[in-house]
Amino acid sequence: MSEPTATCWSCGADRAPADALCPSCAKVQPPAAGNAPDKFAVLGLPRGFELEARQLDERFRTLSRKLHPDRFARATARERRFSLEQTTLLNDAYRTLQDPARRAEHLLELRGVRPLSDTAMPEEFLEEAMADREKLLEAKMEGGKDGVEQLSAGIRKKRDAALEEIASVLRDASPQPAALSRVSELLARLRYYARYLDEAMGRAPEL
Amino acid sequence: MAALLEIAEPGQSQVKEACVSAAVGIDLGTTNSLVAFVGPDPASGAGKPLALPVDEGSTLLPSVVSYRVDGPPIVGREARRRAADAARDTIASVKRFMGRSSADPETKRLSPYRFAEGESGTVRFEVAGRTVTPVEVSAEILRTLKTRAEERLGTPVRQAVITVPAYFDDAQRQATKEAGRLAGLEVLRLLNEPTAAALAYGLDKRSEGTFAVYDLGGGTFDISILKLVEGLFEVKAVGGDSALGGDDFDRAVAEVLLAEMGRERDPRLVRQAIDAARAAKEALTARDSVEVEIAGFRRTLTRAELEAAMRPLIERTGPASRRALKDAGVEGKLDGVILVGGSTRVPAVRAYVRELFGLPPLADIDPDEVVALGAAVQADLLTAEKPQHDVLLLDVAPLSLGLETMGGLVEKLILRNTTIPTSATQEFTTFADGQTGMDIHVVQGERELVADSRSLARFRLSGIPALPAGLARVAVTFQVDADGILSVTAKEQLTGISQSITVKPSHGLTDEEIERMLLASLEHAEDDMAARLLIDARIEAQRILRAAEHQLESNGDLLDAEERAPIEQAMQSLRAAMESSDHRPIKDAIERLDHDSAEFAKRVMDRGIERALKGHTAAEFETGEMSEHAKKAYRALKDE
Repeated sequence: MSEPTATCWSCGADRAPADALCPSCAKVQPPAAGNAPDKFAVLGLPRGFELEARQLDERFRTLSRKLHPDRFARATARERRFSLEQTTLLNDAYRTLQDPARRAEHLLELRGVRPLSDTAMPEEFLEEAMADREKLLEAKMEGGKDGVEQLSAGIRKKRDAALEEIASVLRDASPQPAALSRVSELLARLRYYARYLDEAMGRAPEL
Repeated sequence: MAALLEIAEPGQSQVKEACVSAAVGIDLGTTNSLVAFVGPDPASGAGKPLALPVDEGSTLLPSVVSYRVDGPPIVGREARRRAADAARDTIASVKRFMGRSSADPETKRLSPYRFAEGESGTVRFEVAGRTVTPVEVSAEILRTLKTRAEERLGTPVRQAVITVPAYFDDAQRQATKEAGRLAGLEVLRLLNEPTAAALAYGLDKRSEGTFAVYDLGGGTFDISILKLVEGLFEVKAVGGDSALGGDDFDRAVAEVLLAEMGRERDPRLVRQAIDAARAAKEALTARDSVEVEIAGFRRTLTRAELEAAMRPLIERTGPASRRALKDAGVEGKLDGVILVGGSTRVPAVRAYVRELFGLPPLADIDPDEVVALGAAVQADLLTAEKPQHDVLLLDVAPLSLGLETMGGLVEKLILRNTTIPTSATQEFTTFADGQTGMDIHVVQGERELVADSRSLARFRLSGIPALPAGLARVAVTFQVDADGILSVTAKEQLTGISQSITVKPSHGLTDEEIERMLLASLEHAEDDMAARLLIDARIEAQRILRAAEHQLESNGDLLDAEERAPIEQAMQSLRAAMESSDHRPIKDAIERLDHDSAEFAKRVMDRGIERALKGHTAAEFETGEMSEHAKKAYRALKDE
């Protein structure tokens, strides 16, 4: 996939920077330097929005079995450290790719598009959001479960439509910059929908 | 000189290592503690974990420590018998105090103990003319388990996996680790109790699917949702209440009884009422009514009355369970519910679990032993060269971890139920012009306000260059390791100045206190040197006898009757010497056996080498395809 630009600390063989294990001697390797590793590469999957959940789970389990610190309990301090770092990366990549919204966000990040902050959203969306929340509050005050459920269903519809639009843009191998910034805005919408649905479900911290 | 002990067949070297020191699993429970061990089991090929009898023939060691003015503390059943007469000197359910501060309201609730104020707000019990911390009391229990396991196994025990409730916070985990260290154990891993139980179940049943583990012990309630796929145990969500358990049932019932008696309460009476309540609760699992007697007060208690007193407490397990199911995203898709903890023997609890999950619960493995058995499996996984089972546990952070930000708000960096190990980084900026330091306050919990969260640590990053507000940037990184223990690093991005700590409980023990306690335990160990030497000698003797028996059995044909007799005689006198209360005659007998069996050992070794080389070619040796052991043997042969 990528050119071998790293070497194994143990046997000196060439390896790809994303290789967690040396292809030649199978020793655990330090993670590649840099702040934003390609989370698809961490799991050994091709970049793309479409992802089969079963394949993702399968890759995660296979790699966990090889990289988890428990497998290195008797190894050297250096290998234990690499195992901890690699497993940390693996867990993070898995968490990101499991969730469609975060997966899309990561694809944008890999293309150098920064996520849109909530305050940079278009005026009409912010107004719409405020009106939505007022309705939710009213429905909650009335105490009727049906009202809240009806409103939630409406938001879920909007959420699914946004996800569908994101998927259609990202299916394109080389989307236009304008399309990418549209995705960025849709992702901000998704964050808002998620918060709304949490609130509607009354998922208040318990404890 | 070759000795019998040094002989190991190629590829069997783990047998020898396993003999040198054993790694055990320990369930350090609120009411009872257990120790279990995975032994090599040649018959089935896969070792089964076994709980060891440690107290008057039982595998349960009551977690009760009774301190005396003259002599070492007593642990277990005998301590429990002393409880009524020496209520203040006898500490029960110490687990509830682990990592807690003396200011916690939980601490003083209905407990008969005398507390002393500690330097760092740690709970301290005044017992028999001195003060002890919960960590020291727990270490006493662990030390007893360690010693009794050593006697049982005939090998020193140095490493252990100790279980903790999944819902234990960082302070409680640290306290448990310290107790292990104080007892002379290397704590290989702190393992969440429900995960341990699932491990024991999953291996036993070879089942796959999504399971809930409902763990109601003496003092804590834990709920975990796990997914089992091909030997991989993935914890999806955990929840619970670290201050709810069977002890609370007993106290609730005792409250009812004490209120009816209307007598002035003293520690002795309270203890008697609690004991009577526990006995009644246990009796009522099989009967509908029972006679209760406390200091002359008598009444009949029915199961309905008992259940009415317990019901509100049992129902407190509902919300946490539902939340865990929701967090795991498996609502209504469970394959089974596993029951753990002595309190799940209560019929009302089982009925409630069935109602809650809509499934009949599983309880085939003894709910008292299952956690220790799972811990033993994990200890084997972490120490054996070739573990008996090919399984892996993926656990989660039980509570969210975050930082205090402006206005006393919590910024969460790691959310609860994130698979560990994990890390997260967040950037913060200075809020005042020329600000050169930043206070980092680490908190744990689900609430939004710092005031409602558990404070884990505070530290200060200084040396930030004086810049206008908002220009200096500090990146704070949280790293949670596979034990669930957190370390925090703060780094100023321009200068690279950084500061990092492993989080210690803010009201736990100071390092000096831990040092002092470690020193005290060392002194204690010196007092017991003679006893220690004796135990070591006996263990050594058992080991060499076992090795000799094994070799006589499998390689006895190398000896004729005349050669065999002195070896057997030496073995006989070693067995006799083991009865001695002095270590020296045992050592002498060991040496004699070693001497008398030297020739035999040499022949066994030669045969081993011969066998190791059979089927191996010199080419294999050169390409490194032979085991290290075989290589060594091969070299030895070539040198001769």
